[in-house]
Amino acid sequence: MAVPVTQADVVVVGGGSAGATAAIRAQQDLPPGRVVLLEKAHVKRSGAIAIGMDGLNNAIVPGHATPEQYVKEITTANDGIVNQRAVLAYASRSFEMLQQLDRWGVKFQKTESGDFDVKKVHHQGRYVLPMPEGYDLKKILTRLIKRAGVQVRNRFAATRVLVDRGRAAGVVGVDVRTGEVSAIRAKAVILCSGASGRLGLPASGYLYGTYENPSNAGDGYSMAYHAGAELTGIECFQINPLIKDYNGPACAYVTGPLGGHTVNARGDRFIQSDYWSGQMMLEFYRELHSSNGPVYLKLTHLAPETLGEIERILHRTERPSRGRFHLGRGHAYAEDSVEMHISEIGLCSGHSASGVWVNERGETTVPGLYAAGDMACVPHNYLLGALTYGHICAENALGYASRVEAPTDEADLEDQAATEQSRILAPLSRPRGVPHHQYEFKVRRLVNDYLQPPKTANRMTVGLEYFQRLRHELEEVGANDPHEVMRVAECGFIRDCAEMAARASLFRTESRWGLYHYRLDYPESNDAEWFVHVNLKKDRDGEMVLTKRPVEEYVVPMTREELAGYRRLRVHARDNGAVEGVRP
Amino acid sequence: MSVLEDREVAKAAQARRVGNAQTVRVYDVPVIVDLAKCITGCRICIDSCPVDCLAVNPETKKAHMRHDECWYCLACEIDCPKDAITVKIPFLVR
Repeated sequence: MAVPVTQADVVVVGGGSAGATAAIRAQQDLPPGRVVLLEKAHVKRSGAIAIGMDGLNNAIVPGHATPEQYVKEITTANDGIVNQRAVLAYASRSFEMLQQLDRWGVKFQKTESGDFDVKKVHHQGRYVLPMPEGYDLKKILTRLIKRAGVQVRNRFAATRVLVDRGRAAGVVGVDVRTGEVSAIRAKAVILCSGASGRLGLPASGYLYGTYENPSNAGDGYSMAYHAGAELTGIECFQINPLIKDYNGPACAYVTGPLGGHTVNARGDRFIQSDYWSGQMMLEFYRELHSSNGPVYLKLTHLAPETLGEIERILHRTERPSRGRFHLGRGHAYAEDSVEMHISEIGLCSGHSASGVWVNERGETTVPGLYAAGDMACVPHNYLLGALTYGHICAENALGYASRVEAPTDEADLEDQAATEQSRILAPLSRPRGVPHHQYEFKVRRLVNDYLQPPKTANRMTVGLEYFQRLRHELEEVGANDPHEVMRVAECGFIRDCAEMAARASLFRTESRWGLYHYRLDYPESNDAEWFVHVNLKKDRDGEMVLTKRPVEEYVVPMTREELAGYRRLRVHARDNGAVEGVRP
Repeated sequence: MSVLEDREVAKAAQARRVGNAQTVRVYDVPVIVDLAKCITGCRICIDSCPVDCLAVNPETKKAHMRHDECWYCLACEIDCPKDAITVKIPFLVR
């Protein structure tokens, strides 16, 4: 059956934060309907911040921080392995985006004199800007997408990028309600499909009990890979310090400025900074697995008014079911510290550095293919990074689309779409096949068994064999309706990400980024051989190949002292005052 | 090779060819819909769900949780105009 085709100039995959600003910006310069935005859920409740967000973690507000300071902070936090030009592009453009959000009606916390009320959470600078009414952000973005005239397709799961002689030429996907497969042809494709958030299995055993919106299953990582793009830093996993079992953020970023902090079971502080970095995670891991564990977020010492303020923020915006979770267990911040743990692994450049390789224009290594947000490697980019890079990608995609001719090899593109249609719909021919959730449980359980740091070559090699075997087992998985067709496609994305995570981690034979790439068989960093990016791609024969990519000369020079700044996060025993005990 | 071992070899080969069989397992799900309040024909919560786990129940014509795939994000509960939805923390998590 011929696959229906829609013609557009720019197609954006994913309607979360990056996808929203990409589509809105691209549509400004194009006739209505020439920008197609594909969203697997519905744009009103999509992406990492489906409900809202209580603050910006990396606002660079003049008077509080400079772009150069920020670039240094992130270079240090990511152990020097950054493309500084890409970080600097964010740092230089993000205040303009922040002001745009302010004009759009996003409410930021301001001082009595009307200035942005920036807080300190990072190890060195001040970058955290609260958004007390952050639940409005999705409403505002949704309204702007509609008003701009973007052609939105909700409940459409994109699964592959069309490629014409090495250039991106569109996208194929499936409507998850009707099951119809269709293609959207465009000269430029902007992938904004979020993190690989369903990679490890949560300790609760609940497949959807993830930190990330479980809709973000690594779709973009897999799509970029199969289109021939390079991915980078995949071995720099995302691992987060979270509320145990609930698996949502304990939110040191919100509670820190109000006096909350992380303590061990003795009630002692053990890290100087609650900013999430690999180095911080390693200290957290060591404490958790020592006789001082478990680890808690301590709020019991705060005044009732402060606790009220914390609840007003944390129980209403990012994860509003958090209060229900605590109440269900009979816990209250005034009496009980919040038990924390470290999460299963994921891939996400919003929090760490694992993503599709992009430069300061948001370009991947495939012409016409752009990437923004959690899936694009601009380390520690967070929400404001997604919004800013959505804009950057759109501007450059518009320029590119106006310069190049449309693809001419119609027959080949039709073949690609037809092949993809057969691949996506194949599970429907196996209605009694293995259910998607069993397959997914198995892949993710094996990710925990073999890839959760600390890493070793022996374990990861065994894991890699299982991930390759799972490629064949995917052909046993069945589907009974379009919803399940989407889930089986996601199983493929998750398996691809597992293989990438294993191969990239095996390739880098040193330890770096604290816990994110802590190898027991190579416990030290080795700058002489490994002060490089590790990039991976699919070669002409369909094999996953890995290469070293040199770190470009810094545009913001760093001293040796500055680069080592995050290696001194542990609070030493003598620094600890007597702190009241925590009731477990 | 003994007879028993031959039989095991044959069975192991057959196990790779026999195809699949299924059974039904019941789950306690976190999204509870008050049928008295839920409006027939309204699809707001179904549109809101980021993981597409809600659907119209063909028997009641009202919304229900069709797939045990909830992020306990509360989008459905917050967006319901009739306050017909209560989301519990999933049993494995609470």
